[in-house]
Amino acid sequence: MYSLVLNALVRHINKNKINTKCIKYLKTSASLDAFWERDPKGGYIDTREKPSKTQIVREGLKELKTEIALWSQEVKEHFEFDPNMIFRPGETDIVWQFGSQDSLNEWVVTSDKDHNEGYSSCSLALNKHGKGLFAGELSTRVPKDGRIKRAGYCNIKTIRARKSFKRETFLNWGPYNMLVMKVRGDGRSYMLNITTKGFFDLTWNDTYHFVLYTRGGPYWQISRIPFSKFFFASKGRVQDRQSPIPLNKITNFGISVGDKINGSFSLEIDYIGVEFDPNHKEEFAYEMYRMPKYIVAT
Amino acid sequence: MLNGHNLSKTMLRKSVLMIIFNYCKYRTIGPKFINLNHAKRRNLHISSICFGDPTKSKDIVIYENFEAIKEKNKKTYLEMLKIFGERDVHRRGHVEFIYSALKNMESFGVHKDLEVYKALVDVLPKGKFIPTNIFQAEFMHYPKQQQCAIDLLEQMEDNGVMPDYEMEDILLNIFGRRGYPLRKFWRMMYWMPKFKNLSPWPLPSEIPNDIFELAKLAVERISSIDIQSKISVYQTADIQDAVEDTWIVSGQSITQQKLLSEHNVKQPVYVEGSFQIWIKNKLVNYFILRADPKPIPKEDYDPDDVSHINVPLFGFTPPSKKSLMTRPSVHEQEDGVVLAVCVTGTSGRDSLLSWIRHLEADGNPALAEIPVVFTLRAPEKEIATADANEEENSIEKM
Repeated sequence: MYSLVLNALVRHINKNKINTKCIKYLKTSASLDAFWERDPKGGYIDTREKPSKTQIVREGLKELKTEIALWSQEVKEHFEFDPNMIFRPGETDIVWQFGSQDSLNEWVVTSDKDHNEGYSSCSLALNKHGKGLFAGELSTRVPKDGRIKRAGYCNIKTIRARKSFKRETFLNWGPYNMLVMKVRGDGRSYMLNITTKGFFDLTWNDTYHFVLYTRGGPYWQISRIPFSKFFFASKGRVQDRQSPIPLNKITNFGISVGDKINGSFSLEIDYIGVEFDPNHKEEFAYEMYRMPKYIVAT
Repeated sequence: MLNGHNLSKTMLRKSVLMIIFNYCKYRTIGPKFINLNHAKRRNLHISSICFGDPTKSKDIVIYENFEAIKEKNKKTYLEMLKIFGERDVHRRGHVEFIYSALKNMESFGVHKDLEVYKALVDVLPKGKFIPTNIFQAEFMHYPKQQQCAIDLLEQMEDNGVMPDYEMEDILLNIFGRRGYPLRKFWRMMYWMPKFKNLSPWPLPSEIPNDIFELAKLAVERISSIDIQSKISVYQTADIQDAVEDTWIVSGQSITQQKLLSEHNVKQPVYVEGSFQIWIKNKLVNYFILRADPKPIPKEDYDPDDVSHINVPLFGFTPPSKKSLMTRPSVHEQEDGVVLAVCVTGTSGRDSLLSWIRHLEADGNPALAEIPVVFTLRAPEKEIATADANEEENSIEKM
């Protein structure tokens, strides 16, 4: 019935050469009055063309070899049962390091331009010294579509940690208490995002943030940020009920820039690692006192 | 007869009832079916609309007032708020007024002024919007007004304006303790002070517009890596045969001077730039004097190798091989040795040549012999807005 109506409408439109903008009352999207999440991407659909079935099978079979190698490694580690038990203070365990093209494949680069929600553009590449260079142009210009209120962000994010055969898993940073980054910025402030996506829709957007201040200039800086300083937010809104990061449930790490300053930005990254500092005793930097009823988290 | 009389009486009553019924029926649904094209419509108004002055605008939104003002500054902005407050006792259309006032803040240059925001919130009436029972409190009493106040606070947050406790008093008087704007206020007062002075490279709250002052801030910030750094200001006019007449802000430390004096005369040093550094929302171009990176001495020492263990003989341990080296300074980076940093007034080649001459005179005599290579590049991107509209059109077409 619906398609019949639609066909009739389309025919009518073609006949009379009416602008397609007229058919506004035909809603194809679900209403947004429910608070539960329909999909983890929040409605942002990947518009890239999917490869054909035969191509998927062919590519999949190619990947079988590496996946089996990964899996056998996992099995071996399971039987050996020799995990790292000693985390020496002052020793940085590097998690992501730039240096080769393969290291770039672990990152996803996004900006508001991707979904026609702004005009910022960015890229992640290797510079001539082989370090990661996250650079681009930030623009707070809002597209005139009547829907977008504010614009201007660029973001890089790691892909989800996984086991063999593309099974999703978590990064376990439990024994560590510091995030260590060797970066060279341009004087801007960047936002670090640690995502701890859970199973239920309520936890899909759980993210912990902190600011990465950069000096700017020709010198590299090593920023050591305790995990206790990261504050809890969801969809960019800082939450009233705060809690320390569940360090054994980390899914992604990201860096974003959106400081409302129009112009170019560049952040060179050497490595991102974690460290155990026995002198850092703080568990969580923000107050955890009981708050008035029916006021918080409403 | 009596019966007949009664009958006619009931008939009459029935017919009267039918007339009334039909009248009512057609009064309500009649106009929907009857085509009144040829009939004349009654011109009877019950509202007072016709008796008013037709030339007077009936607009609720008075946004044009803000845009009509010629002289745009804080004084005229506050004057506008005062006019609105004194216009009439009922003070209708607060929400529309506040939204239009918020929109025009930046053009008046008051978007970072706490006093103005407070004056703007003060426009709302006190006491009227305070809920008096739990149902009102729970179901967002006066939602438009509350949302308006939240949007105002959000704009403050976006512009980095931290509210104060007078703001809390004003909001409390307007919305009461259960108001949503109060929640927003309390959140802001919890989080904003935590990040206000967190930057390890603090800057003045008012960034100067003068390029020279900005250049000094930039060089100070870059040189903050070495506390021995000295910031000096040179004039190109002091150098003979200088083409440009401008200033140079240069930063160099004793360590860098020492590195330059120890530099191999046959190896060149490079003047590189321009690079960019942001001082809050201002962009500064800087240049560096760089030498090639020092090779890190590699020592093949394997701690797990047990083939050559020096065994103590009769309690006498043979002396272990000592290899000492000075700890590399912060200026010796992986991708080069930074020898000096500068910002010039024109960022031109000639001013950089003058900078090298000034450095030579100011404690780096080695620069007279070391070959200096100028590897300058043009600014990476031209500042152009020509294709901005084109881009916008392409997005709208999608």
